[in-house]
Amino acid sequence: MITKFKDKDGKAIEKKEERHYHPQATNCRDTKMKYGAQWKVANIRDTSLQPLQAKKESMEFVLPDGVRSADVTVNLFYELTTPAQKYPIHSITKTVSLDK
Amino acid sequence: MMLLRLVLVLTFLAVPLLSYGQKAKTIDELAKMYDASRCKTCHAEIYAQWEKSHHARPLMGVKGGLMLTPLALKKGEKGSTAFSEDSPGKMTIKNYPCFKCHLPQAVTSAEDSVAVELTEALLAKDAAKVGKLQITCIVCHHDKAIIHKRELGAPEKGVLYGKRDIPVHMDSTFKTVKKSAIFKDSVFCGQCHGLGPNLEFDQAFQCANLYGSYLHNYVSGGGTQSCQDCHMKNGDHLLAPNWNDDKASSELLAKAITLDVQTLGYEWLQKAGTLIPKVVVNTKITTSAGHRIPDG
Ligand code: HEC
Ligand code: HEC
Ligand code: HEC
Ligand code: HEC
Ligand code: HEC
Repeated sequence: MITKFKDKDGKAIEKKEERHYHPQATNCRDTKMKYGAQWKVANIRDTSLQPLQAKKESMEFVLPDGVRSADVTVNLFYELTTPAQKYPIHSITKTVSLDK
Repeated sequence: MMLLRLVLVLTFLAVPLLSYGQKAKTIDELAKMYDASRCKTCHAEIYAQWEKSHHARPLMGVKGGLMLTPLALKKGEKGSTAFSEDSPGKMTIKNYPCFKCHLPQAVTSAEDSVAVELTEALLAKDAAKVGKLQITCIVCHHDKAIIHKRELGAPEKGVLYGKRDIPVHMDSTFKTVKKSAIFKDSVFCGQCHGLGPNLEFDQAFQCANLYGSYLHNYVSGGGTQSCQDCHMKNGDHLLAPNWNDDKASSELLAKAITLDVQTLGYEWLQKAGTLIPKVVVNTKITTSAGHRIPDG
């Protein structure tokens, strides 16, 4: 998931937050994560989406001085083997204002 | 994707399949033993679905990646693995522990010469040859159909297994279909979809462990559906996702996964006189799957 911000008058302010959801395995001989069945031995951490459970995040962004509004875009996509192999799933954009 | 498609030649000769005890010496012999192309004549729809499925290209990787190649490399060469040897001639079936799930018939029915030939084909990037090795109808409907062998015996010669008994089946080799005890159960798929590390090998490793996730995170949470309930509605044999089809995979995932985004803009009072303009973004993702996503 990537969350991007742009201020309203287009000045290039873009902040990114990513979350990675997937099981993570090592070869159990060192602490480096591995990809590929021929290298992996066991999961040491699992951030994947779990059945029957919601995955919730709360992220905060501090806006620069004078900026009262921002566009937030949340992209969710599936990456297979390499980051180049992307399957887009959802993209939601919302405008957030600090003025009532 | 067109490159991956096999051209299957229909033959109406009754080739003796699965002659017990006789193992295949070449890739062609192994492919022939498990050849299911004639099933197409009568089960056209299922065949067309299966042909596009990952089960029909278990050694090809996603988009023709030939994922067994690291094992085929010379020992010590960059990218080679603990399963590699210093020459292709030394490769045996045991050097490819991946066969346990990606090609179970190699473990039961192939000589080591098949591993040598496969190694050479992988090094030569001969996708057409590697692509001949598939999880065919016969692998599932015969070899993998019985897990209670002490009570029920091994799968019988000339018999296929399915959801029900069919005393007279029209096929030239498999003249009967018998009811398998496990065809509607998740454990059938669990034979290959992984519990966790494969600890029975002299060099442990892990690939799919989705069946473990199903048992320990879905069933434990009260989930009651089987793999077949969700993945094989109306007998579907495509068993999506088919990762070679980008558009369909995106659509499938969009249906299976929900994303909710809530936002809040306000000024946080850090301390007297210091207001920090903030945007808060709360996201919530849910899935309708019966296991972790992604796996592996
Ligand atoms: C000449 C036609 C023909 C050929 C060839 C053929 N089948 Fe069938 N098969 C049928 C018919 C017809 C039925 C349904 C019989 C019935 O409903 O009584 C059937 C039923 C089945 C069933 C049982 C389905 C269930 O309801 O559980 C399976 C499994 C099956 N076939 C697999 C295969 C496989 C695998 C092959 C190739 C090795 C194959 N068949 C080749 C005609 C054929
Ligand atoms: C316990 C059974 C099992 C073993 C053993 C196994 N795999 Fe897998 N593998 C699977 C299954 C099932 C999938 C697809 C589903 C998934 O990833 O959850 C898969 C997927 C893959 C993929 C992703 C490509 C794709 O088309 O989905 C690669 C690459 C892979 N395996 C390589 C290997 C290699 C290399 C080995 C041997 C070192 C190996 N696997 C051993 C069951 C296994
Ligand atoms: C990955 C394992 C697997 C493979 C490969 C496979 N099948 Fe099946 N097949 C199943 C399972 C499991 C079922 C029962 C599904 C269910 O519960 O409805 C089934 C059901 C069937 C049925 C009954 C369908 C119905 O609507 O009741 C037929 C016929 C059949 N398979 C034929 C084939 C043929 C022909 C092939 C090869 C082209 C094939 N299968 C390949 C696992 C497999
Ligand atoms: C004989 C072993 C075997 C059996 C039995 C089996 N699978 Fe698979 N399955 C595999 C392998 C291996 C792959 C990955 C092939 C590849 O490398 O692309 C796979 C791929 C898949 C995929 C495609 C997703 C992906 O990431 O590759 C789905 C979905 C799937 N299987 C579901 C099932 C279901 C449901 C059943 C039971 C009805 C089942 N399988 C039975 C071995 C098996
Ligand atoms: C409650 C429904 C449900 C059950 C039960 C279920 N699945 Fe799935 N599965 C899904 C959904 C939804 C997806 C996401 C893609 C899609 O829609 O096919 C998925 C995805 C997959 C994938 C691709 C995983 C990846 O890494 O992205 C595989 C492989 C798979 N399932 C196999 C199985 C097997 C094997 C079982 C039984 C042990 C099973 N599923 C049980 C609904 C289910």
